[in-house]
Amino acid sequence: MRELLEILNNLRPDVDFTTAEGIVSDHIIDSIDISSMIAEIEDTFDIEIDMEYMTNENFDTVEAMWAMIQELQD
Amino acid sequence: MSITSLSFILFLFLCVVLFYLFPVKHRWMVLLAASVVFYAISGLQYLPFICFTTVTVWWAGRKMGKLYEQQDEVLKTLRDRKKKKDVKALYKKECRRTLVLVMVLNIALLCAVKFLKYFVPAVNKALSWSGLFQGEFTAAMIIVPLGVSYYTFSTVGYLLDVYWKRYPYEPNLARFALFAIYFPHIVQGPISRYNTLGQELKKELRWDTDRVVKGAELMAWGFFKKLVIADWLNVFVETVYAGENTAGLVYVVAILFDAIQIYTDFTGYMDIVSGASEIFGVKLEQNFNHPFFSKNVTEFWRRWHMTMGGWFRDYVYKTITVSGWMKNLNKATRNRLPDAVRRYIITAIPILITWFLTGLWHGTGVTYVAWGIYYGVLITLSTICTPGLQSLGRKLHINMDAPSFDVYRMVRMFCLFCGGRLLTRPGSLHMSLQVVKTILRSFQPWTLWDGTLTTYGLTVPQLIVELACIALLWWVSYHEEHKGPVRDTLAQQNLVFRWALLYGLLFAIIIFGCYGPGYDAASFIYAAY
Repeated sequence: MRELLEILNNLRPDVDFTTAEGIVSDHIIDSIDISSMIAEIEDTFDIEIDMEYMTNENFDTVEAMWAMIQELQD
Repeated sequence: MSITSLSFILFLFLCVVLFYLFPVKHRWMVLLAASVVFYAISGLQYLPFICFTTVTVWWAGRKMGKLYEQQDEVLKTLRDRKKKKDVKALYKKECRRTLVLVMVLNIALLCAVKFLKYFVPAVNKALSWSGLFQGEFTAAMIIVPLGVSYYTFSTVGYLLDVYWKRYPYEPNLARFALFAIYFPHIVQGPISRYNTLGQELKKELRWDTDRVVKGAELMAWGFFKKLVIADWLNVFVETVYAGENTAGLVYVVAILFDAIQIYTDFTGYMDIVSGASEIFGVKLEQNFNHPFFSKNVTEFWRRWHMTMGGWFRDYVYKTITVSGWMKNLNKATRNRLPDAVRRYIITAIPILITWFLTGLWHGTGVTYVAWGIYYGVLITLSTICTPGLQSLGRKLHINMDAPSFDVYRMVRMFCLFCGGRLLTRPGSLHMSLQVVKTILRSFQPWTLWDGTLTTYGLTVPQLIVELACIALLWWVSYHEEHKGPVRDTLAQQNLVFRWALLYGLLFAIIIFGCYGPGYDAASFIYAAY
């Protein structure tokens, strides 16, 4: 979780991601950041995020992202 | 069968009677039969095309769904992470093969019926070389099935969703066929998603008087927009663009009327088919949300032709954004290019490709390619420049939250929309340029009051009626934007008032509607896409 928060904070240092909701739905991070974020997450956690995981629900909170990462690592 | 014809009203009436005579659990079959009849009446030659798409996509969805079920069974027996990964990759590969095969077949069919007319000489050469066909192949021989772009996009969307495991496959071919061919959405959308329309069609469809009346009201409003506003404005705009030595001011009026015409034409159609569908208890997806209240181009495309925008966003834009080569580009440019430049590139590529394809979807000529690039560039600039402009506004102490600033942004967006229309409506980019030149060089403001405007197909009383109708349209839009659906407000009124209003609307359609000889009131602009 700490590494995930680091990736997000590097993209948007002004946002407190531990409490943020609607990260993608409410455009807290924009389309450019999404592309960078996915590349970072894939590199850091050695996973591949397919289109089937590209839903707002999977990226709207840090908890949801973390659950998706763990599922992909399983 | 045109949906603005009396035969459609009669057809709908018969469908509604039959629909509610059948037991609830069989009503969806009435809709399927009615949809097949509607499609066959439009052209028997179209049927093989839609049958091909329906059967191949349903088969592929079923095959992929069954493969995923098998995969889940196998995964339950495994504990080793690597083996699980291998099994997933194996099944994914098999699914991808099926997906690609059926997608390529259907998109190739769509491209063939849309683009083949540009390759007639090449086709003739190929045919004479192969000896398969002795006669001459002409563009007139190409069959363009009714609603081919719409049903291809809806079904391909379903296929991708099943592949990405967004929802389960449909095991019943007849159920899937109803989704593909459902007559209220087949001609020009909305581009429906299976997880919404498919589920709507599976509901218990029961009679509800309030809903049926609301459906009829929506249909009446749609007919009003199409026949009283769109078709009369079309007479004016067509006459202006067909004429010569036109004054700049007349062109400006034509550009404004054209923007309102396409809006009322498309939303009029949507209201008619959504109302018809509501009578059966099936809610179609919303396709418009008062787009002329948009404050920027991104918001505009979230409100205009929403199902098409959503389709391109979910299936094209997102796919490009997370594609391997975009990720590689992201990594390759990191630490090599300045961050701002890298962000511009990463932003621009998916947007420009998506909008280029959106332009091609609308039409195959140079004007539509230019139109796609126009919006691609506008959206890219909007995405890149917004933070900078906001910061500049704050420095200049501009109150960007003030209502007057919102009005400015809405007017700006409307002008940008008119600019987009100016690329496609005159017929060629050369003509578009001529229109701009005329506006700049020969504006002739006196043509506003010297009677010139009445020489383009509309008399003074007709122009006054049109302006009054546009004012009514604006009031309804404003009410719906700020206070919710007008139909909900009407539902709270006395029944006598509601019926009086409905009759008033019907009389307005009969009295003021555009039914002149030689003018095809039935052709909807978006049906051509």
